[in-house]
Amino acid sequence: MKLLTHNMLSSNIKGVTAGYPLLIEPQITTTTEVPINPNFLRHIFPKLDYSALVAAAKTLGFSDLPETAGVSDLEDEGFLKRFHHALLELKLEEGALVCPESGRRFMVSKGIPNMLLHEDEV
Amino acid sequence: MTTAATSFTITTPAATAISYNRGILFNQSSRSHLRSHHYLRTSTHRKLEHLFVGRRREGKTRAGSVGGESAGVVEMMEGRTTEELKKGIAELYDESSGVWEDIWGEHMHHGYYPQDGVVSLDDHRDAQIRMIEEALRFAGVSDDPNKRPRSIVDVGCGIGGSSRYLAKKYGASCQGITLSPVQAQRAQALADAQGLADRVRFQVADALAQPFPDGKFDLVWSMESGEHMPDKKKFVSELDRVAAPGATIIIVTWCHRDLSPSEETLRPEEKRLLDKICDSYYLPDWCSTTDYVKLLQSLSLQDIKSADWSQYVAPFWPAVIQSVFTWKGLTSLLRSGWKTIRGALVMPLMIEGYKKDLIKFAVITCRKPAS
Repeated sequence: MKLLTHNMLSSNIKGVTAGYPLLIEPQITTTTEVPINPNFLRHIFPKLDYSALVAAAKTLGFSDLPETAGVSDLEDEGFLKRFHHALLELKLEEGALVCPESGRRFMVSKGIPNMLLHEDEV
Repeated sequence: MTTAATSFTITTPAATAISYNRGILFNQSSRSHLRSHHYLRTSTHRKLEHLFVGRRREGKTRAGSVGGESAGVVEMMEGRTTEELKKGIAELYDESSGVWEDIWGEHMHHGYYPQDGVVSLDDHRDAQIRMIEEALRFAGVSDDPNKRPRSIVDVGCGIGGSSRYLAKKYGASCQGITLSPVQAQRAQALADAQGLADRVRFQVADALAQPFPDGKFDLVWSMESGEHMPDKKKFVSELDRVAAPGATIIIVTWCHRDLSPSEETLRPEEKRLLDKICDSYYLPDWCSTTDYVKLLQSLSLQDIKSADWSQYVAPFWPAVIQSVFTWKGLTSLLRSGWKTIRGALVMPLMIEGYKKDLIKFAVITCRKPAS
């Protein structure tokens, strides 16, 4: 699971109002090299919750992102590289995503999160 | 159906199991209502059909609702609960996706065919792409770089054919959800292999409880997954919830014909035909295109449009049946499992349903208000 995905996922358990962003319990994290696509990064930036990305990246061991960033930072090559690395090159292979309100854990196995809710959670 | 069906003999362990279980599966009391169905021309096929489909009883209830509460509690002996349906869907696709992909490729949906002309298998792959393009065109999704979707959700994504296609077309990111872990794995592997690992991602999740915050996606896509949803109201309201302001929602799905003003339900023989299909494909009760339109209207969605594309998909099921009866098709099928085989046996019923104007291939689209 890449952090681009993590940024889009939320816990929608019945009764939970603050299910985003999910906390991460990493077990196996990998880094892959992905060719950088600045247009895509600029395209997707407005859709992301940047602070959630920063926090998630820290959990996976990457603390080089500035705490805040705006559209203008996307012109800076250094920032783009770090943003790209956090968003697309870090990958959680095994671990869990945790609902920040209820503590419920969603397992990530072979890089795929299982977000299915149980009958009583819907 | 051709004579090939009568001439092949099943000699796999699966076949031995058929004869062993015959006593358990064969339900004497339900035979009578099957006598009137003469659509299957081969005796071998009819025998097999009795084994797999003959269990349905009259007057049962099944998980499925359009506008009310989700079904949930149904007696175990009759019909299926929502949990059984979800498990069944996941298992059916876990089992059969490989077979499908082997013969048909990465798109698990109908093709959109020109009105005339003979079609070959290659034409089917093109037709499946054309189906995506026609749906986008019908919904008026813009190609303009400033207006095209940036984030897409593929609800009921199969092995991700649509997700990868749409992500490439629009240079967008796409999230796909499916109940089948095998499909999610395969979809991701295909995305990775096509260089899309960075922006096309798949997860195991329920379309009735999508794991996304509100308003994230510019394009909400459901290509032939709506028919699996036991609670159409919940399904549609989740599509609405995850749609961003100004987003486009596109639903392409199997419906039954609209009811006339004097009708409250389908005719009994129509229901019986759909029941058999539902049994094998893990489908809840069907609804009509108008039912979907009403649900979208109730959510105050705008620019609601729908169309009946049944005439444009006519070559599809005959082609699927034909592909089963190739050597590759048969061997893959017999190696796959019960659910897949049963699904294959029920394909002629889809053709029958279309011919009787009972089954409709519907496209429904709308836009979320901008604010």
